[in-house]
Amino acid sequence: MSSQAFELKGEMSLLSVLLLSATNMSEIQTTLDEKRENAHQLLDRSPVIVDCQKVSEQATELDFAQLRKMIAETGLIPVGIRNLPEALENAASESGWALLRHGHSRVRATTLPEKTEAVDEDNATAVDSSDDDGTTAAVQRLRVVQRPVRSGQQIYCPDGDIVVMQQTSAGSELLAGGSVHVYGALRGRVLAGVQGDKTARIFCQNLEAELLSIAGRYRLLDDIEDDLKGQAVMVYLEGEKLKIAPI
Amino acid sequence: MTSGKGGVGKTTSSAAFATGLALRGYKTAVIDFDVGLRNLDLIMGCERRVVYDFVNVINGEANLRQALIKDKRTDNLYILPASQTRDKDALTQEGVGKVLEDLKADSFDFIICDSPAGIERGAAMAMYYADDAVIVTNPEVSSVRDSDRILGLLQSRTQKAEQGGTIREHLLITRYNPERVESGDMLGLEDVLDILAVPLIGVIPESGGVLQASNSGNPVILDTESTAGQAYDDFVRRFLGETVPHRFLEVEKKGIFKRLFGG
Repeated sequence: MSSQAFELKGEMSLLSVLLLSATNMSEIQTTLDEKRENAHQLLDRSPVIVDCQKVSEQATELDFAQLRKMIAETGLIPVGIRNLPEALENAASESGWALLRHGHSRVRATTLPEKTEAVDEDNATAVDSSDDDGTTAAVQRLRVVQRPVRSGQQIYCPDGDIVVMQQTSAGSELLAGGSVHVYGALRGRVLAGVQGDKTARIFCQNLEAELLSIAGRYRLLDDIEDDLKGQAVMVYLEGEKLKIAPI
Repeated sequence: MTSGKGGVGKTTSSAAFATGLALRGYKTAVIDFDVGLRNLDLIMGCERRVVYDFVNVINGEANLRQALIKDKRTDNLYILPASQTRDKDALTQEGVGKVLEDLKADSFDFIICDSPAGIERGAAMAMYYADDAVIVTNPEVSSVRDSDRILGLLQSRTQKAEQGGTIREHLLITRYNPERVESGDMLGLEDVLDILAVPLIGVIPESGGVLQASNSGNPVILDTESTAGQAYDDFVRRFLGETVPHRFLEVEKKGIFKRLFGG
């Protein structure tokens, strides 16, 4: 094995998603410029994938080569594109885009379109495109967990809220498209609004979480004020800032 | 008997537990799932009587009666040793299930599965058919974290869980040292219970009696003088439904004689 220079592995990574809501190239350029003004440090050199879900009807108007260049000039690294009509896949591919198969992170129409959003993206091995056509079965809006969530366990509710009736342990992970409520100590990682819903919130009886995240904005336990640790709190987004308030 | 982490006292506890049940008249078998790193036979003092082992039975090279070792000290107690020359891959789910069914058919009341450390095949096989799980934990953070992980697996990787049920969980804290808890070197009972949120079935104090018992191949529960032996006996009684208050949780106040002549 040691003679191999690398291993090829599939793994989950956190990526920013640029969810297009317009196809007019100059409009996109304007928004990109704005972003660069406001948050250039945040965006600098971070990999991004472009999602065309909302513009798939008008996607023929897109100039893929130019889009790639524009994004790169903003300081982002364009790695791939998804939710393109099949007819356009070739064009995008020829312009150097990696085509990403749709994983599990369909973005809800209610999400605000103009920001980049961090979601879990299976960027290497996602081959499951069965839900591409939007004919998925009834989505789960609420997942209630009666038992403690243990280290190593992951609760995932991509399109709804998670309610844990007990505690969560260090090393556990809650991932919700919506909000998360924990009626006990919150010790693991918790990510609400994983599909970009910035109105998602996190509630818990006893804040000891390793990581709190809403729509990609996160804080680690070490960044949290000491007087909030161990308290019953609500976590929410105010603009770009993750706020923690006692309840 | 499971824990995640190694060296916390699973085998010692399995031996004590099985012996305690057998002493109360229950026909009990204790199985060593630690294939390749067999220890239970040493703790039970029957290492020289091992002819056939668990893997031989699974592979059909011996029948259960040939492999079961009858304990010399305690009636109703049988040991099924692990193979020392094989590894955990020798354990198959069907094979383990068949052995457990055969033991039940042979009118065994209790079957204690002594799990190896880790979360891999050996541990998975030991927990799969369980009705009850005793999680053995030392009062320190890494052991508690690993136990928490095991508790998660118990919720999903058991036959009961796959059929939509749950297995009963019991927390057994071993090597508890009240002095070190008081001085802050060790997690307290409350801290462990707070993190794991599992019903407590026993606290075994750290005791020289445990090492002595292991080395001499006598289950520590037979040493009724030692605090650990007494605490294991309390644990068995609680498991069988008795209400027994927890002991040995406070720092022992040494009297003048003990201080002068040593405890």
